[in-house]
Amino acid sequence: MSITIEKVSKSFGRDEVLRSLSLDVPSGSFTALLGPSGSGKSTLLRLIGGLTKVDAGRIWLNGVDVTDVPVRERQIGFCFQNYAPFRHLTVEKNIAYGLKVQRRGRREIASKVEELLALVQLSDFATRYPHQLSGGQAQRMALARALAIEPRVLLLDEPFAALDAQVRGEVRTWVRNLQHDLGITTILVTHDQQEAMEVADKLVLLNKGAIEQVGAPSQMYDEPATDFVRSFLGPLTTFDGVSIRPHELELVPESASSGQVVTITDVVRLGFEVRVVVDDGTGGSTWIQLTHDEALLGNYAPGQRVRLRIRRESHA
Amino acid sequence: MKRRSLALRLIALFYVGVLVGAPLVLVFQRAFSPGFDSVWHSLTASDTASAIRLTLVVAAITLPLNVIFGVGASLLIVRHPSKFTRLLDTLIDVPLAISPIIIGLALELAYASNGVFGRALAHLGWQIIFSWPGIVLASAAVSLPLVSREMVPLLREIGDSQEQTAATLGAKPTRIFFTITLRSVAWAAAYGATLTLARIIGEYGAVLIVSGNITNKTQTLTLDIASNFENFATKQGFAGAALLAMISIGVLIVLSLAKQRERKNYEYHD
Amino acid sequence: MSLVILIPVIALVGHAFTGGVPAFWDAITQTEALDAIRLTVLVAFATAFINAIAGTAIAWVLVYDRFIGKSLLNSIIDLPFALPTVVAGITLVTLYGPYSPVHIDVANSWVGIMVALLFVTLPFNVRAVQPVLESMDFSAQEAASTLGSRPLRTFTYVTLPTLVPSILSGMGLAFARAIGEFGSVVFISGNEPFHTEVASSYIFALSQDGELNSAAAVSVFLLVFALVVLGVFGFISRRISQRIQ
Repeated sequence: MSITIEKVSKSFGRDEVLRSLSLDVPSGSFTALLGPSGSGKSTLLRLIGGLTKVDAGRIWLNGVDVTDVPVRERQIGFCFQNYAPFRHLTVEKNIAYGLKVQRRGRREIASKVEELLALVQLSDFATRYPHQLSGGQAQRMALARALAIEPRVLLLDEPFAALDAQVRGEVRTWVRNLQHDLGITTILVTHDQQEAMEVADKLVLLNKGAIEQVGAPSQMYDEPATDFVRSFLGPLTTFDGVSIRPHELELVPESASSGQVVTITDVVRLGFEVRVVVDDGTGGSTWIQLTHDEALLGNYAPGQRVRLRIRRESHA
Repeated sequence: MKRRSLALRLIALFYVGVLVGAPLVLVFQRAFSPGFDSVWHSLTASDTASAIRLTLVVAAITLPLNVIFGVGASLLIVRHPSKFTRLLDTLIDVPLAISPIIIGLALELAYASNGVFGRALAHLGWQIIFSWPGIVLASAAVSLPLVSREMVPLLREIGDSQEQTAATLGAKPTRIFFTITLRSVAWAAAYGATLTLARIIGEYGAVLIVSGNITNKTQTLTLDIASNFENFATKQGFAGAALLAMISIGVLIVLSLAKQRERKNYEYHD
Repeated sequence: MSLVILIPVIALVGHAFTGGVPAFWDAITQTEALDAIRLTVLVAFATAFINAIAGTAIAWVLVYDRFIGKSLLNSIIDLPFALPTVVAGITLVTLYGPYSPVHIDVANSWVGIMVALLFVTLPFNVRAVQPVLESMDFSAQEAASTLGSRPLRTFTYVTLPTLVPSILSGMGLAFARAIGEFGSVVFISGNEPFHTEVASSYIFALSQDGELNSAAAVSVFLLVFALVVLGVFGFISRRISQRIQ
């Protein structure tokens, strides 16, 4: 189901959070609303969901103007960062809540809940209470609960932020695969640029209530429209007075024919990635991103003198 | 360090034992040493029996009123804050810091038949002071803050994301209120209600002033115990006292069980 | 519920000042009034102070010590809070009065009053300090030990300051409760005017004599006094908290 946001504005008191923002979300896509804190991304999500009312502008769901439609009639699924479980209900009653509201038959509800429990791999936890679940399990329950009512669009507000780093990656991948299988239009709000790039088909970068750029993640990374986009979407360092991605640089031996002579001041090994920090002698410092194997080959150590240059295949 | 902590432990135990334990033991000793029959006799004597009856009636009226008020006020204060609710919040806490005698006096001044309001009400045939409605008012006043003091912090802590989620799932506001809001604060409300009940049953000073202390008519159990004691009917007095003490112990047990269970529900996942 | 709070409070203040400020002043400066107030305030302060020490010690034992019957101790602490004041009142005077089974007679004296107030206010002091002790992390104390500080010194200079705000808060609550306490005190005190009559008894006596305006005046004075003391306690407590940050 497609979503169209037309010139939407929202203020809280004197705080203008969104300024006449327009956006199209294609049906079936996984869109990420990305941006720093205060950029208005959560507010935008809540406006789409109907949890907050717009000050100006209109919102269309599948061609229907829903701006004045209350949240309970919009048929959306919403997941909060804190999962918002109904603590006094079991996992299966949580999932069944929306179905009960729709007055479905008991047998129908039971079979649907069983189906969803299997989908989110919580079948063994049906009669547990939310406080007996881990973070990842609670978030999956929240998803199942939202999916139970067969929503036309799924809205996720920083759903992975409260999870441990390792669990976060696993749940993220799982959600992305689920979305591909179900084909449901999904919008994810996050401040984690890596997360957005990993799961989304379409990236919307917000800053201070306005859109900086919209596009596919890799396209935006390679062809950022503004400096803000460039610095937000990936690491940057300076070389020769120019801002550049650290993986677009390379180190070659001092004896090579091209490149600037620099001294290595630090080598940071992060497992798969190695960062080499160099000093160009005039007080300027640059860091280069190398793969584990490249660093191994080069055998770099602080104090060495090497040459620094832009990789031939980069388009910096 | 071990010797010091043992000494501290003994001092603490001694202090609490003498201060709190001894009186507790005495109540039951004085009440039951003449035997169970004596206790039963005392409690069923006409003045004590009617005092018990009055206390129960007052509790039955005041408890629901204060619980509904407490729940409603807490929801207003937390979910719809405004200057008015902030004032409400402060006013509700007033009875906590005031002597019950002063509360009783204030009520008498406001509602006695020769008072400003009392006169108007007397015209309608209503007598507040020196009659049971006054006792209800006094009981309500002293126990007013007990429910909201439990519920407000809880409501603040859990936020309204559960209600918002229920709305996205299609529920109408009334349904959300009954299936989510009330259920999520049920324990705090029950806890507050228990405290309220204990307070209503046990109130003395405020009710003393407001009721006029008329035997068999406006005496609650606490007043009856006091007057028995003052008139040297000590056996009867202690019988009533033991009954109240048992209720207090029961309340304490219920409350500590409730606290344990509540803590389990809110200890969250990793 | 303005019915129950607002209107009576307005009535109280109104009656306190019927007859203007001179009548108000007259009522609170009666010798009997002053004696009652003085007695009440002094005993209340003493009670709050003693129970602050006892309460802190008890809270310490509850949090850090382990022994059989500890949970019983923990539950008993709340008893004075849950027990009706008359029950406490008649029990205490029987236990520590002229017919005392342990031959301790402190009835009709300020000592008796203080015992009653100690009973009633104990939970406030304990429960104010307990949660702070429970969530206290010992890194500061451990740092002090590594720097050579002996246990008593560590306690006085590191632990105690962190506890002071909550101790003061407990004292404030205890004080507020103590100056208004009636039911548990009225039996053991004997209510002898000028000697063992507490403020609440005096107000009660005035109300029974029909001197409602004077009663109101003394009440208002007592309330304002309590508010001021609470405010001072709160202020000092906040100041110390800030210093610690």
